[in-house]
Amino acid sequence: MAIQVVMDRTGDSRHRFDPDGEQELAKAEQRFYELTKVGFTAAVRTGPGKVSQIQSFDPNAEETVFFPRLVGG
Amino acid sequence: MLRFARSRPGERSRVRAIRALFLRHGDESTPEGRSLRLLRAWLSPAQRAHFAEKGYFEVVGGDTGRQYRIHAGAGMNVCEVDKKGRPTLGLCFMPVGELPIGDIMLSQKIALENWESGALAVARRFIPNRFSFRRSRLLG
Repeated sequence: MAIQVVMDRTGDSRHRFDPDGEQELAKAEQRFYELTKVGFTAAVRTGPGKVSQIQSFDPNAEETVFFPRLVGG
Repeated sequence: MLRFARSRPGERSRVRAIRALFLRHGDESTPEGRSLRLLRAWLSPAQRAHFAEKGYFEVVGGDTGRQYRIHAGAGMNVCEVDKKGRPTLGLCFMPVGELPIGDIMLSQKIALENWESGALAVARRFIPNRFSFRRSRLLG
């Protein structure tokens, strides 16, 4: 199972999906583009403590985290 | 008549330590607990150890190689440090929305490591003083 973690005021919302399932994968891809379109940044873990920002949906990513647009305080 | 009871010596630190233990061992029912668990999962072992021990962790800027320190906090909690580990410049930036502390810190880590110029472009700068990054809570 793969997971998309979307940061929000509850801590996060977690969306699990089976990357081998066509429908679930399509839904995950749709969620990815819906979030990034409204300004969320997507990042995947590439190793212990190593994180890479991604611009397009990666069907092989086991865990993707999304956080909202950054602003100055 | 109301009287203010003076707290016993060490009581405040005991309360703080209990709260830290409560958070550290993951109260999954609170946004803060959930966000800190996510943060710890995404830190490197060295960053996680640093965070637990010192209350902050350090990241290397992806564009410039500069060293940044991210303290536990939801704003004005990031600083650039020199080679001797002294804070040289404070940075204030965060994701929009009222996110819990762990989410904010993880966003700051990801941004500085992957998109340093973008983070610096939005960050408000301030001159850190000796009170700026006082350790207030043990969250690691």
